[in-house]
Amino acid sequence: MTWVQRGLRYLRLLAVVLWASAFASPAPADVSKQFELSLQGQFFPGLSSDPADIREQFFTGIEAEFSSDFDSEHLIGTFLPYGRIASGGGEMNHVDIRELNLLYTQDNWEGIAGISRVFWGVTESGHLVDIINQTDQLEGFDGEDKLGQAMIRISRLFDQSTVDLYALPGFREREFLPPGQPLALPFTISDDKPLYGAGNEAQHMDFALRLSGYQGIADYGLSWFSGTSRDPEFVLQSTGTYRPRYPLIHQAGLDLQLTLDSWLWKLEAIHRTFESDTVTDDFTAIIGGTEYTIYGLADALFDLGLLAEWHGDSREDRTTVPMQNDLFAGLRVSFSDTQSSEFLAGIFSDLDDGSDSVRVEASRRILGDARITLEAQSFVNVDSGNALSYLKDSDFIVLSLQLFF
Amino acid sequence: MKHAGVLLAVIALLMPHILQADTSDAKARGLEIATQADERDSGWQFQSSDMEMILRNRAGKESRRKISTRQFEVEGDGDKTLSLFQEPRDVRGTAMLTFSHGLEPDDQWLYLPAIKRVKRISSRNRSGPFMGSEFAFEDLSSQELDKYQYRHLRDEACDPYQCYVIERIPRYENSGYTRQIVWLDQTEFRSIKIEYFDRKDELLKTLDFSDYQEHPGGFWRADRMEMTNHQTGKSTTLLWFNYDFETPLKSGDFNKNALKRLL
Repeated sequence: MTWVQRGLRYLRLLAVVLWASAFASPAPADVSKQFELSLQGQFFPGLSSDPADIREQFFTGIEAEFSSDFDSEHLIGTFLPYGRIASGGGEMNHVDIRELNLLYTQDNWEGIAGISRVFWGVTESGHLVDIINQTDQLEGFDGEDKLGQAMIRISRLFDQSTVDLYALPGFREREFLPPGQPLALPFTISDDKPLYGAGNEAQHMDFALRLSGYQGIADYGLSWFSGTSRDPEFVLQSTGTYRPRYPLIHQAGLDLQLTLDSWLWKLEAIHRTFESDTVTDDFTAIIGGTEYTIYGLADALFDLGLLAEWHGDSREDRTTVPMQNDLFAGLRVSFSDTQSSEFLAGIFSDLDDGSDSVRVEASRRILGDARITLEAQSFVNVDSGNALSYLKDSDFIVLSLQLFF
Repeated sequence: MKHAGVLLAVIALLMPHILQADTSDAKARGLEIATQADERDSGWQFQSSDMEMILRNRAGKESRRKISTRQFEVEGDGDKTLSLFQEPRDVRGTAMLTFSHGLEPDDQWLYLPAIKRVKRISSRNRSGPFMGSEFAFEDLSSQELDKYQYRHLRDEACDPYQCYVIERIPRYENSGYTRQIVWLDQTEFRSIKIEYFDRKDELLKTLDFSDYQEHPGGFWRADRMEMTNHQTGKSTTLLWFNYDFETPLKSGDFNKNALKRLL
């Protein structure tokens, strides 16, 4: 597959040349720029006052976004670097190129080359089908943050559906929270480079195919992924540390949403098979549920959404799979005020061992166009045999302020 | 004498209703006028424009929104609309795609750029406020002829024009209104003023259109719309810029997967 990699290298070079010319030519193409400065405080009130415990930490992050059409009808270039500085420094400082790509569109065809991000799926309390990008674990506990992934995507857009074909060179390892971090895994990750199912390790070319579209009230997606798993297994080393191993997998995915008046019915399902010599068995996992919204309550002051989603996993092992038979129940309040205030509260319950975790998210626009966000999670009652038992003292409150320029 | 004056005023106000109360003539005439207005505004195929929204609360405190819109005309069904939010900056890049279907519920998708996610959303909330403004979703949606039942009320001057005054009653579900009264000028059939009556049939809002411009193809657009809520004292001004009826747009630009590539 070196032709794809070589092609990608040329396209990256082309991107750099186009960017340089967009800035430097005598009549520069319009480059739209925007910057987001974020200030974040993380608090862990459940931890001891032992100096070894991190009870609070602070981050300053900046995300820039440059985009340009290079005075062309068909091209859009995007460059989106991100970086943050942590009060504790070290491994919690973080830099990533979220996007650096060129998008070419022609009639019903679309092609992208470079680093980009992709989201697939419909459910709210978890994401199963979404697989293209590696999860950015340094940024958030909820797994919503993603690392940029190098790709070539070719898409054919039809009236009510789209077919996407992806070639994904250059695997990205998961970046684990360093030891001592309150939300870090309960074992030591080996410093050795990870193990891979693929002979050519991180150079392995992954492929994905997706058909998505809508028909009346139904929005659907069918996907296939073949390549290196984004989720590591852990192999115990003789030193007592655990070494991440990224097996080769094949994964079929389905996502479906039915939009029926005030009801949204949602389903995500995956079936993952592993190539030989893996420690994990093939499995099927699903998230299915509903969101019902009551509009215009209290004299049109707010809308109230009620959510319920069930997570199931054929591995059925509550000690290693966090969401093997769990229910999420929540409510969402969207205010119709000029600050677009939002509030979401929910509880994850393990139906096998009764473990409960409560999550709250709230946000509101302030000072014209800044946004303040609160995110908190409490592991109120976690059974000692549950996969998340190591987090029982790691209740957290995250307060963020985002400023836009 | 004072009371007699009031009585006379009441009678004068009621006269048109008494004279034309639900006669089929008034209905036919109302539909005829609405059909004319609809025909005058058909055939533009596609258009784009930029909109600035100025929200004012009762104390006069302002907040602003900027939105770019593109529209694609669909024969025999509602139009397709793409709205790209520019300001406030915390929602920049958020986009909304609407396929309107007259009496049937609209299909609507929202694109959230921070997580690159396209969400199908319920279009049930027609009467809800658009971005915290005094405009409800239904006020800004595609105005198809069959969405209302019409009745001609009277003709009167609406400075500087001469107007038809028609009443229209929403036929679609979940409207926030029992009825609307629309003033249309008699030469170009442009909306000059709309009064909205809430579910208790009390006057809720008035929308005034001004600064009309004629665009290629003979299509008229108001550069300024002023929505006043009489019950809350709040108001919202819409200012329209950069109307473009000439740069071609394709149906394929109005695709839920194309939401991700808007600039």
